Amino acid sequence: MCSARRAAIVPAMITNSVVTVRGLQKCYGRRRVVDGVDLDVLEGEVVGLIGANGAGKTTTVECIQGLRRPDAGTLRVLGLDPVTEAERLRPLIGSQLQDSALPDRLRVAEAVELFSPRRARGGEALLEQFGLAERRRSAFASLSGGERQRLFLVLALLGRPRLVILDELTQGLDPSARRNVWAAVSQLRDEGTTVLLVTHELGDAEALCDRVVAMRAGRILDSGPPAELVDRHARRAKIRFGLEHGAHAGASSDALLDELRGVVGVERVERNGLRVTVYGDRRAIAHVGAVLVRNCSVPADLSVQIPTLEDALLGLLDGAEPHAFSSDDHDYHLIGAMQ
Amino acid sequence: MNTSFGRLLRAELKLMLRDPLVLTFVFVFPVLTMLIIGGSFGTKPSSGFANRNPAHWYVASYLTVVIAATGLIMLPVHLASYRERGVLRRFAAAGFPRWSFALAQLVVGLIAVAAASAVELGVAAPVYGIPALHEFWRVALGIGLGAVAFVSLGVLLGTLLPSARAAQAVGLMLFFPSFLLGAGGPPPNALPQAMRSIANLLPLSQVTDAIRDPWLGLGAASSSLIVVAVLAMAASTLAARRAAL
Repeated sequence: MCSARRAAIVPAMITNSVVTVRGLQKCYGRRRVVDGVDLDVLEGEVVGLIGANGAGKTTTVECIQGLRRPDAGTLRVLGLDPVTEAERLRPLIGSQLQDSALPDRLRVAEAVELFSPRRARGGEALLEQFGLAERRRSAFASLSGGERQRLFLVLALLGRPRLVILDELTQGLDPSARRNVWAAVSQLRDEGTTVLLVTHELGDAEALCDRVVAMRAGRILDSGPPAELVDRHARRAKIRFGLEHGAHAGASSDALLDELRGVVGVERVERNGLRVTVYGDRRAIAHVGAVLVRNCSVPADLSVQIPTLEDALLGLLDGAEPHAFSSDDHDYHLIGAMQ
Repeated sequence: MNTSFGRLLRAELKLMLRDPLVLTFVFVFPVLTMLIIGGSFGTKPSSGFANRNPAHWYVASYLTVVIAATGLIMLPVHLASYRERGVLRRFAAAGFPRWSFALAQLVVGLIAVAAASAVELGVAAPVYGIPALHEFWRVALGIGLGAVAFVSLGVLLGTLLPSARAAQAVGLMLFFPSFLLGAGGPPPNALPQAMRSIANLLPLSQVTDAIRDPWLGLGAASSSLIVVAVLAMAASTLAARRAAL
């Protein structure tokens, strides 16, 4: 059963914090969708809130925007309370909401005019910047998925908001449109805008975010820079190469594999016919390379697989045990699971 | 007028004129049916029409059809569609005060009634002529209160019905019986007693009486005007509550 009381604690403020959330709880009926979330977003940061569908990400940002009233916890956004000061706060935030649309017959230029805060300028420049200038007379219904998302970005950026919240920005986009949107968010980061990015696409988070906050079942599991999370949850790298018939025949190849087993960072070496796979942490990559060079046997088909954020967090976010590699490596589970 | 309300009102007025449902039901349907029904009974005063010119009877009655189409079809479908597609959430997140959208819809609805009524009278004038207004202020009050009542009802339905399809189904179910029995169908004297009793209970019949009777000199229709005033107050209060005005 969900508590309906709101804690009266004032969140401990971090000096340049744009968003401060402490102990946020939200229930829909008897189902608790956000369960004690603490979150800080600092000025100029691009923070990714990631998690599977139903993890509570969207509800969290809706509470941050004052679109939903929390059941418990405290929030300060740009120094304002999103519950009691929502009308003052909302014009300071640029939002791109999940699953929302514009009227079908509203034209692009009209949407810009409608959503431009008083005295705001720059709508035309934003349309140019996001490649929509030629579409300014087009109705919303006639825009492609990518164009719609770019229009939502334009609308979110009107009036130079201090905080931009982008919820599932690349959902349903083709790879090219996704790259365009990534470029736009990168530009925001370069301009120093604070961005809270909500996504279940780990690729988005890895490409764009300074810091990632992983959520599951309404709780925060871990947070940190993407590289740090990868290091924490998926340290292993995989190095593969083929043995050459002449150069690595018989005892020669056995000696090479024995030497590799003793290399710093190597955890296991597997041989399947002429194919060799070396598992280890990322230090092992350099050391294995050095052994191969020393033995004058650098293979032409050498490949290295480094874990991505997706490798590190996929299992974690889905609720299963995290793993480094899945396709041909069923017995190889991540050692350093969640800490 | 560059306030959020002003910008919203401007956009909504443009969208209204681009909506085929609005153009069909609010602007074209009343005029077309008025021309057909008005021409069906001739122009000679008849006892079935309280000894008035039947064409004038329908010209005076059909302003109510415009009001019903706006309140029962246009607004519920429009609002339910916005809610269903998350347009209202987008407006809320962009800082539009909650009341601004409901107020914009109220104003758009009243402007739609005024514009479609002007079109209807503009078409009727050269064809059947405009009947003389016997009690201008009572007619104006009837139109004003009737429009507020049905526009508020439309906003209320739009905030209650879950989808545009549901709003369209419910709106049409409410509109056609009201239209046939309470405004644009056969004259009350031609209806069987049971039908007439049902017709008298319809809110639209009360609005029609409150406009047509003082217009054609058939009486003040004070009781109908009071019912319409109460309806306007109740519907606008409920609509304001639902829209968190």
